[in-house]
Amino acid sequence: MSVLSLISGASLPVQLVMAILLLASLFSWYYIFLKVFTLRRTEKQTAEFERQFWSGADLNDLFQRAVNARDSAGSLERIFESGFREFTKHRREPGTDVGALMDSTRRAMRATYQREMDKLESSLSFLASVGSVSPYVGLLGTVWGIMNSFRGLANVGQATLSHVAPGIAEALIATAIGLFAAIPAVVAYNRFAGDVNRLAIRFDSFTEEFSNILQRQVH
Amino acid sequence: MSTHAIHSRDEALAGGLAFAMHVLFLVLLVFGVSWQHKQVDTAVIVDLWRDLPAAAPPKIEAPTPPPPPPEVKPEPPKPVPKVEAKPPPKPEPAPAPKPDIALKEKQEKERQLKAQQEAEAKKKLAAEKAREAELEKKKRAEAEVLKQKLAAEAEATRVAAEQQKARDALAAQQAAAQAKVVDEYKRRISEKIRRLIVLPPNVPDNAQVEFRVIVLPGGAILDAPKLLRSVGSVPAYDAAVERAIIQADPLPLPPDPALMRHFRELNLVFRPKD
Repeated sequence: MSVLSLISGASLPVQLVMAILLLASLFSWYYIFLKVFTLRRTEKQTAEFERQFWSGADLNDLFQRAVNARDSAGSLERIFESGFREFTKHRREPGTDVGALMDSTRRAMRATYQREMDKLESSLSFLASVGSVSPYVGLLGTVWGIMNSFRGLANVGQATLSHVAPGIAEALIATAIGLFAAIPAVVAYNRFAGDVNRLAIRFDSFTEEFSNILQRQVH
Repeated sequence: MSTHAIHSRDEALAGGLAFAMHVLFLVLLVFGVSWQHKQVDTAVIVDLWRDLPAAAPPKIEAPTPPPPPPEVKPEPPKPVPKVEAKPPPKPEPAPAPKPDIALKEKQEKERQLKAQQEAEAKKKLAAEKAREAELEKKKRAEAEVLKQKLAAEAEATRVAAEQQKARDALAAQQAAAQAKVVDEYKRRISEKIRRLIVLPPNVPDNAQVEFRVIVLPGGAILDAPKLLRSVGSVPAYDAAVERAIIQADPLPLPPDPALMRHFRELNLVFRPKD
């Protein structure tokens, strides 16, 4: 009685549930790996840009570099670019007061920040729903399979363990697959949510510090 | 490299890794379950080992004969170094008296030649001796190997005999156990019949009837029981016993069908007193 025979011998609804769960598991692992790569890259780029920024490079140079390499720029670099662009544009106009200038700069940075955060957080919700729902889907398959095996038992005069056991084992496979899908998804979701949060804090504090630097330049 | 290129590469890598992950899961699941099945199978095999330990010793003794040759081999090289060590000291004293007169030198040379010849003769002798010793040792080693072979064979035959004895004893035990079971069921059969006998009046205590019954595998009685020896004086007793036998159908039989041959034809003896 191998696992494969258990799967192939299950009833159609249970097999359907298993297929859904397998698909969910495949996609969740796909997103897990994708997120691992993008988050690691974003973290590296952020650290690199912070190092460049705080090592005292000229702001115009940095801006020029960010514009030239827009395709490969990191999130923090894009935030910086949009803020600095807004700042230089407004500054050339005569008769703007400092408050309005800083407000518009901050708004521009805020918009880019939100766009970047949305990119980082994408498909995290998918992991969360796989983690919370797939155990229930697996349980549904199990309950269905056990119901069927008990109904079949009613037709047998003498019920022995060997009549019930294969049906229940078949049904339990569905729960096992559901848990297989759910556990990594939940762990990955928690991990990634924490990582994204830390990145968001880094972006926020950079925005504030950069606004201060720009404000000092105006005076 | 643009973000698009990086992104598509990441996507392909992530897809491949996710797929590999699931293949790994599947392999683990399948192998994990089949591994558990193998364990169950080995648990069944354990019973068969009970008799084998007696057969193991000859197998262990068989490989022991080879070791003696290595013990013999290290000895022959010893005589060879002795032969080589002897000649050098004799040529050595020769160079010392060289400064003496020519005659002496000649004598010396002759002596040296003699010494050399002697040394060579000694060498030859020693070599022959060594060869002889080696031959003897070889012979001895062969004899020893032969002896050990003989001993091993004797041991094997002894062990085989022991095993045969053990097997015979086991068979005897089994036969005894079978006989016990047969007796037990024969007793039960006659008891079941005896309980059903309605004893007619005026039966003498020494009366004895004997019936032959043919039993079918289920315990059913084939035909009517055949009267072998009648009481004679009280025919009512014969009839009572016959009725009891017919009523006792089916007779109790042992569950082992191999014992059925002991119950195919039964001679049942009844006395009113038992």
